[in-house]
Amino acid sequence: MLPLRQRLALAATAASAALFSGCATTAGVQNPSGVPVTELRPDERGTVAGTGIESNEIVTITDKMARSILGIPQIARAQVPPSVVLEPIVNNTRFPINKDIFLTRIRTQLNSKSAGQVSFLDREMMKTLERERELKRSGQVTASADPNKVEFGGADYFLTGKLDGLTTRTSAGTSDYVLYSFRLTDARTSRIVWEDSAEVKKQGLEDAAYR
Amino acid sequence: MNPACPATRTPLAPTAGPVARVGPSRRPAQPAEENASRPPAAPAARAAALLAATLVLAGCATPPETPRDARRRGADGATAADRAAPAIPERDRVLHDYRAAATALRAGRFDEAKARLDDAIARIGGIITNDADAAKARSLFAAESTKTFIGEPYERVMAYYYRGILYWRDGEPDNARACFRTGQLIDSDPEQKKTYSSDYVLLDYLDGFASAKLAADGSDAFARAQAQAGESRPLPPYLPAANVLLFAEYGYGPKKYAAGPYREQLRFRADDSPSRSARLVLDEGRLVVPLPAYDDLGYQATTRGGRVMDHILGNKAYFKASADTAGDVALVGAVIASEQARRRERHGKDGDDANLAALGLGLAGLISKVAAAATRTEADTRQWDNLPQRLSFAAVRLPPGEHRGRLEFLDRDGQPLESRAQSVAFTVRADERDTIVFLSELKR
Repeated sequence: MLPLRQRLALAATAASAALFSGCATTAGVQNPSGVPVTELRPDERGTVAGTGIESNEIVTITDKMARSILGIPQIARAQVPPSVVLEPIVNNTRFPINKDIFLTRIRTQLNSKSAGQVSFLDREMMKTLERERELKRSGQVTASADPNKVEFGGADYFLTGKLDGLTTRTSAGTSDYVLYSFRLTDARTSRIVWEDSAEVKKQGLEDAAYR
Repeated sequence: MNPACPATRTPLAPTAGPVARVGPSRRPAQPAEENASRPPAAPAARAAALLAATLVLAGCATPPETPRDARRRGADGATAADRAAPAIPERDRVLHDYRAAATALRAGRFDEAKARLDDAIARIGGIITNDADAAKARSLFAAESTKTFIGEPYERVMAYYYRGILYWRDGEPDNARACFRTGQLIDSDPEQKKTYSSDYVLLDYLDGFASAKLAADGSDAFARAQAQAGESRPLPPYLPAANVLLFAEYGYGPKKYAAGPYREQLRFRADDSPSRSARLVLDEGRLVVPLPAYDDLGYQATTRGGRVMDHILGNKAYFKASADTAGDVALVGAVIASEQARRRERHGKDGDDANLAALGLGLAGLISKVAAAATRTEADTRQWDNLPQRLSFAAVRLPPGEHRGRLEFLDRDGQPLESRAQSVAFTVRADERDTIVFLSELKR
């Protein structure tokens, strides 16, 4: 048996330990460290809400769209590579984003993978191109072809899209569902000749220090 | 160096000092032979004291220096930019971004404001989990302010609001709308009643207005905004043909302070500014654009409801009070036991047991008092200190070209506050993009 003084010392230590054991500041707080963001299947029911659009989604989605576009008959079986103009996509979500990144990546994927099956018209450059043509027409700069001849290409198709979102916020966290949809519209008939979409749902709960 | 550590250590000394004087050391001197026969102060007791001190100081571990810190310190490889940049703790980076963005916006340095807000939003836009600083802020011996600052909801809302204005200025009303929607979401509080949740009038109004500009249906958002504003304040119907959007702000925003016996309660002080409304007088008085206050940040700050962190700070305060009381009781017990030992020894009886009891109680009391003193209960009062109080908006159609006028701020009776009036000049764009005019009573 331990001597009395050692027992007393141990009792004091135990009392201190008991004192500290009761000092959890997060008592009664669920998930004090938060719940890491997890990616779910869109058809999977999550427990809460989520976060924004990330690069891996952009890569996955634009790869899927580019493959999908190349498979449609209007592109795959066209005698002459159809000309496509990109129209800005509309962001209907709650996440501000550089919208051009989607169409730019689809265009680069198509240009690199389609082996000339489709061509894109650079409408972003129109003002610069028109200015250059005027310089040629006025004789201020040289021209390798007749500058009075209209050679700017017209669009066969318009490629555009939109981002729609749905947000849920509860005491268990925040969940965000984003639907990315893209379409190819025939410039002559206004018919939508192709359309495809992708969905992402995310959820998470921030650290209790921020709630 | 971890800036939290000095603050944690500081209270220990003054509190621990007096406690040490009334502890077991006041035991009367013993005859030399008696002291020689007694073993030196129990090793187990010393070990316990050492363990307790280790526990208390464990929270003061200094994090390793980051490469950026090292560069700033002037180590090899420091760039001129590193040396020029003020040493801002990473945990306060968002706070500095907020303040600088507001200042840049008011000075017309829109690119700088965008960069600052994007930097802040990159941090506040995600979901922070498993963060070491946040965990530390929740612990007993570190203050809430050790966590990375992202601000209270009204501050985060304003970051998105300002960024939304800048997106609109860049011809991206859909991204502006995204910012307004996120702002409204940040103001939602699933833990509280719906009354004050997502109740910014302007955020819903601008959400719908952006939709109307994009040829979409903004009626739902308008209805929500009108419901928030109340029947007594009819909102102007959307004017999609408007080409000039006026965003105005006036008054000084809410201030944070810590209240409660242990400063564990975060409170807000919202002083009512004399500028209750505003108007823009253009083209020598031929056009007067009212700029009523649609939102009040003082109201928003004080009606958001409680935080989970308040509960944690409450627990810290409870622990601090309990530990302090337990320390008092133990130390009083130690004094009584010591006195009893002396009395027994004066009567020639053995006082060892009482002395040991005094030692044990004194040790426990000391640990309790040190723990109480080291507990950091203070609410985080870091704040975005150059926010306005009131927010306003108006949309008008004006011919392209330069326009000059006068921005007047009105008191509660609708009378102009002459000393606060400002001259205004802006140029309306000739292209399809909206002209954004940002008007602020605040100078910085």
